[in-house]
Amino acid sequence: MRKPRVLMLGWEFPPIINGGLGVACLGLCKALSQHVELSMIIPKSDPNYVVNNVELIGLNNVDVENLKKIRTSKYYKEFAHVTTVEANIFPYETAESDFDIIKGKSIDFRLDGNMNIFKVGDLYGDDVINKVIEYAKFCARIAMTREFDIIHCHDWMTFLAGIEIKALSGKPLVLHVHSLDYDRGGPDSRGWVYDIERWGMHYADAIIPVSRYTGSIAKNHYDVDERKIFPVHNGADPVHVFHDTKDFPEKLVLFLGRVTGQKGPEYFLDIASKVIEHAPNSRFVMAGTGDKLRGLIESGAYRQIGNKFHFTGFLNKEKVHKLLSIADVYVMPSVSEPFGLSALEAAQFGIPCVISKQSGVSEVLYGALKADFWDVDKMAGHIISLLQNDSLRESVVKDAFRDLENLTWEKAAEKVADVYKRIL
Amino acid sequence: MPAVCFYFQVHQPYRLKQYSFFNIGNDHNYSDERLNKEILNKVADKCYIPANKLMLELIKKFNKQFRISYSISGIALEQFEKYRPDVLESFIELARTGCVEFLGETYYHSLSYLYSKEEFVRQIQLHEKKIKHYFNQKPVVFRNTELIYNNDLADFIQKMGYKAILSEGVDNLLHGRTPNQIYTAPNNRKIKCLLKNYRLSDDIAFRFSNRDWPEYPLTAQKFASWLHDAHAADTINLFMDYETFGEHQWKETGIFEFMAHLPGEVLKNKDFSFKTVGEVADEYPIKDIYDAHATISWADSERDLSAWLSNSMQSESLSKLYALEEDVKSSGNKELMERWAKLQTSDIFYYMCTKYWSDGVVHKYFSPYNSPYDSYIYFINALADLEVEVNKHALATARVF
Repeated sequence: MRKPRVLMLGWEFPPIINGGLGVACLGLCKALSQHVELSMIIPKSDPNYVVNNVELIGLNNVDVENLKKIRTSKYYKEFAHVTTVEANIFPYETAESDFDIIKGKSIDFRLDGNMNIFKVGDLYGDDVINKVIEYAKFCARIAMTREFDIIHCHDWMTFLAGIEIKALSGKPLVLHVHSLDYDRGGPDSRGWVYDIERWGMHYADAIIPVSRYTGSIAKNHYDVDERKIFPVHNGADPVHVFHDTKDFPEKLVLFLGRVTGQKGPEYFLDIASKVIEHAPNSRFVMAGTGDKLRGLIESGAYRQIGNKFHFTGFLNKEKVHKLLSIADVYVMPSVSEPFGLSALEAAQFGIPCVISKQSGVSEVLYGALKADFWDVDKMAGHIISLLQNDSLRESVVKDAFRDLENLTWEKAAEKVADVYKRIL
Repeated sequence: MPAVCFYFQVHQPYRLKQYSFFNIGNDHNYSDERLNKEILNKVADKCYIPANKLMLELIKKFNKQFRISYSISGIALEQFEKYRPDVLESFIELARTGCVEFLGETYYHSLSYLYSKEEFVRQIQLHEKKIKHYFNQKPVVFRNTELIYNNDLADFIQKMGYKAILSEGVDNLLHGRTPNQIYTAPNNRKIKCLLKNYRLSDDIAFRFSNRDWPEYPLTAQKFASWLHDAHAADTINLFMDYETFGEHQWKETGIFEFMAHLPGEVLKNKDFSFKTVGEVADEYPIKDIYDAHATISWADSERDLSAWLSNSMQSESLSKLYALEEDVKSSGNKELMERWAKLQTSDIFYYMCTKYWSDGVVHKYFSPYNSPYDSYIYFINALADLEVEVNKHALATARVF
């Protein structure tokens, strides 16, 4: 039987990285290309960035004139009657800002060839709604020029496109859920993005959440039928691991990630306060930036731990690895974490992890100490134990290495291929 | 017989480099030398050199009737030594005229008075030595960093042997009284307090080039007439940042021409004279009590400590800094001491201020960093590095026992 042809829709993809999404997409693509014929449409591609056996189509590089000739569908007309759009549409704010209610103008679905929208600006700027809609329009037209068996979408930014393509082609739709509005905005968050996610998941033939945790949110919070939910955990890419010596004597406890609510950075501060009280010979580093950063800097100063609690701001990959090479403990106190790839990376560097139970990675990483995200005492206790107890450290790290053997993109790709088989 | 008393503040901090977490433990040089040198050169060319030249000319032209005062921080003098000896030379020339008085202040332009009297005294004595060395003067009038002042300080300074101290003339402490006379402290009646006439001082220092100001343009003649209007005054204290001349008010605004004509216009009225701060203290009697229970300063619209102590980053930074004093001093290591002392410069904490409104704009103008949060992070990282080293020393000496 010939390999299925998969039309994959992505948003974030290397070399553009914001969070774990791009990394996960890349990892999955590389492994999946062994099982299927894979084409991937992304808003921006770098012609120098090539993935073997994967056809990458960047909308910033596509020829518009040909696309204009393709007929539109009835769905466009329905959607074109939307005159107001109210949404919290900035899931990945990196700077301090307020959430605005956006009132959109009537959305005109004429294809005016505005490809420039993908050439300039970042993926999550003020005009992300426009970008998402334009993306849907263009993907639909591109899809109409091709043959494929399955549509596979990554996260809400591409769901509209996926819905559109399924409507036009009748092919089965798979939604890969790396994150949900529930994680980013909390259980009471509603709006345009939540609607897209909900509509998409109901319309799709299969949902692939990156953890059972996320799967349960899809079921309970979005009323998705659990029979079409098939969790597939992310894998860990091989990485060059090295160890360095610190230039200061204290132990180093690391937090890596966007400094935003869902990652629990305030809890990290609380935990740090507690640990420093009992184990003063420790330093904490919060690497990353986000809307909560400034408040936390002041909070840390207020608790008088600023000289032991360091902020580095956004770090590139090289600097992140430098931190991983000297860290003693890795902490992920996430309030709601669909997976948590950074914990796997820390485990690869042989760093014992203390992770929130409200995370996807806690389902697959047995070699780690766990606690509920709100349980500051327990988290602090775990850290202190790891800092003071060498045999505990060693066994946690050893167990984690064993877990990592199974956490590969190859295994993930196999599971995804199984999902394809079910729906074809 | 009123006196016009000019006092100019001359100061440049050692600005910290963008000291990151990764520097801790391996980079013990906290100052951004390139930046400091660049700024010093810029200010020297725009302000210090031309302004000193002008002052020297005026002193000669008016046959020693034009008399002024400076306070120069110890670290500004260090940077002159290192980068611009010509500026230092021009100050020395001014000192030689006998018409220029130098005040005492803390060597590192620090807030040490608020945290450690011992360190405060050490820095004052260090500063006195430097002033004696270059200008052959022993300071008799004191100004605390940014004119931070309260009753206890006045008493403390008087007991150190100073005859007078400068302060801001704050309206809610003056209660309608004039700043143009000498005051004393309620708890020490020997000290003479010279209060800044902030209206007239700020007319030159801030409003001079502001086209929206009703009195724009300010000519020497106009300003002199305002001074002459205060004919009942003993002393009109015009206290300001020296960078007013050429840096805050650019040459193009005409500030140098203004100053060039001012002494002549003032002296047209035979009752008026120019005096240095010490001369004012000697000449005029104490006329009333200035009761500063709470600490005041000449900074920001609040005229209090909020420029350096209004948020948790600032208070944590300062308390952690001074908490190291004992260990730094017992290490006996001069280099560590100097590094610790340089971190005390008030500007470093000024940059951490998160106040908004117009004062925020003023803070931003002075700050070389993108945000107050950045400045705090660089400081606290540098302090961590210092702490690591101090602890190493403490450990080493502990082992001896």
